[in-house]
Amino acid sequence: MAQRATMAAPPIVIERRAWSRRVQDRLATHALTTPALALLLVFFLVPIYYVVRYSIGLERFAQNEAAASLTGELPGFSMELWREFLDPGLDLEVFGRTSVHMPAWVFGVVFVALVVGAVFGPRLSERFGGWIRAASFLLLLAPFLTIPAGNNLLRVAELSSEGDFLRLFFRSVTMATTSAVWAVIIAFPIAYFLAFGIKKSKYIWLLVVIAPFLTSYLLRIFAWKIILGDQGLFNSALFELGLRDPDNPLSFLIYSQFTVILVLLYAWVPFIILPIFIALETVDRRLLEAATDMGASRLQALRKITLPIAAPGIVAAFLFVFIPSIGEYVTPSLVGGNGGYMFGQAIASQFVGGALNWQTGSVLSIFLLGVVLFLALSTSRFLRAGGGATT
Amino acid sequence: MSRGSTDVFMSRNGKRMLVLFFAGFLVFLYLPTILLIIFSFNASTVIAFPLSGFTTAFYEAAWQNTEIKGSLIASLKVAAGTAVVATVLAVLVSYALARRSLRFKAAVSALLLLPLVVPTVVLGVSLLVLFRPSDPIVPIPLGLWAVLIGHVVIALPFCVLLLLPRVASIDNRLEEAAHDLGASGLTTFRRVVLPLILPALLASLMVAFVISIDEVVVASFLVQDQTTYPVYLYSGLRLSGQTSLLMPVATVMIVASTILILAAALISRYGERRAGLAR
Repeated sequence: MAQRATMAAPPIVIERRAWSRRVQDRLATHALTTPALALLLVFFLVPIYYVVRYSIGLERFAQNEAAASLTGELPGFSMELWREFLDPGLDLEVFGRTSVHMPAWVFGVVFVALVVGAVFGPRLSERFGGWIRAASFLLLLAPFLTIPAGNNLLRVAELSSEGDFLRLFFRSVTMATTSAVWAVIIAFPIAYFLAFGIKKSKYIWLLVVIAPFLTSYLLRIFAWKIILGDQGLFNSALFELGLRDPDNPLSFLIYSQFTVILVLLYAWVPFIILPIFIALETVDRRLLEAATDMGASRLQALRKITLPIAAPGIVAAFLFVFIPSIGEYVTPSLVGGNGGYMFGQAIASQFVGGALNWQTGSVLSIFLLGVVLFLALSTSRFLRAGGGATT
Repeated sequence: MSRGSTDVFMSRNGKRMLVLFFAGFLVFLYLPTILLIIFSFNASTVIAFPLSGFTTAFYEAAWQNTEIKGSLIASLKVAAGTAVVATVLAVLVSYALARRSLRFKAAVSALLLLPLVVPTVVLGVSLLVLFRPSDPIVPIPLGLWAVLIGHVVIALPFCVLLLLPRVASIDNRLEEAAHDLGASGLTTFRRVVLPLILPALLASLMVAFVISIDEVVVASFLVQDQTTYPVYLYSGLRLSGQTSLLMPVATVMIVASTILILAAALISRYGERRAGLAR
């Protein structure tokens, strides 16, 4: 008996130890992850859940509550505000003249189809994949690129009334697209020069170029106000020269769409040089040597070799500017004026500003959040490529 | 490279153009800030050339201004709090993600990174809804604590992105060896893991601090009587054309953040060298 017990005892002890160690491990894992996850649950997911509730009438803004109780209206599920927001639809202008009316859902379907085509094109069809991708990209960008010369081939018609939030949203998209495209156009040569043109202390120059991004965003807007403001450098130079009356400064310099686009691109260019630079660094110079040996010009080599290799970095760079710019709020409210009013400001004014209607504001917030999440998820491949590069 | 080889990336003229473009870009990038610094010392409230003389009067006036001082102190407190809380949370969760078998690992890391793509306006209004003054969902009053919470949510993904690769790169055997030699989990963490991630930890603290001290959108929805400095600057820029008092503080902050960036660059370089030694 006693002998058997001593023989049997060790395995049990070991097992118990292993078991308790597993429990300890699991407890420790929970102890490690719970704080961060709880924080995000309570202060990130729950708030967004409540905004959704506001947007579908399950919660009411306190100030409306008094009025609601007077009329006997109780909070209840209603899509009324969503309908109000989406019903106006859009007018697409073709060649600056003919306008085509589009209900919001048609536009939504087309938009999703184009994003899918642009991201997964090559997977859809072996032969036409490249074409599908190119066409989708072009159709996605074209309506939203303001070309300085004026009439666009295709664009969403301008705002008709104050409360037309859907068109305001598309104006914000237009502004974000324009500044993102220009930011990429400026960042690419800089990244190219840093990657291939500088031999010595490349990384110090990279730091010099990126450093401004790390200083305060507000202060960089502030600096532009000093140059472009009503009492700013540019205007006071005009006053000095007698070209302009001090009571009548050139105010489009500071309060306009142009300034918002300029400041946004100024703010983001330093940042997106990095993903493009890193993508360019992966280009094997032997490929280019082979190409030139076989008689390709430098331009051909750039187009056929360098650009395709750098493409994911370029797309990531575009998205890094575009995604935060759609919901931009600070820049347009400091330098936008009426012409540069953006969707993010409309949201803010529903919550703390003049309009003050939390329910409408919630509809706008959830719409913006949905669009941004859809874009981020469908392009996560590029974002991860660029994001992995930046960290 | 042999002497006769030509540059396959750019012709000589192309290179000249790129140099010019690069120089122009640097001017475009730095000129606004340099002008801001110059005019903070200008002895006139009118921003125009020629400069009317050197003065530090605005610096003194800004230093005397209690509103500016109060908002700066509030910002420093919130930023310090954000840095510590976000970094501690990020260290814990990175350690779990890198070391432990975790169910729903993909979902957890997606959730951790999600605040990166959510527009800050949406984040701000949703926190305002959460702390709404009448019948709050979570009974925390609006004010600096609320701002701190918002900033931790914003900074957390950045801290995780900084810390996770570093934690994951630590050789598992180091910890096993410590364990076999009888060190407890806590001792292992303190004596083995912590020294190895120290550079990333400092970088995380710094990044969270910088994010918080510059954050205006979420803060503008959540502040009450005591504003933070970015909110003060924001409303000052929005409401008044009078910027003389704002420029000195802006200059000080630009200089301070430049020093911080250089320090961070040096630290991360040191960290790389150290990681190289550890391997």
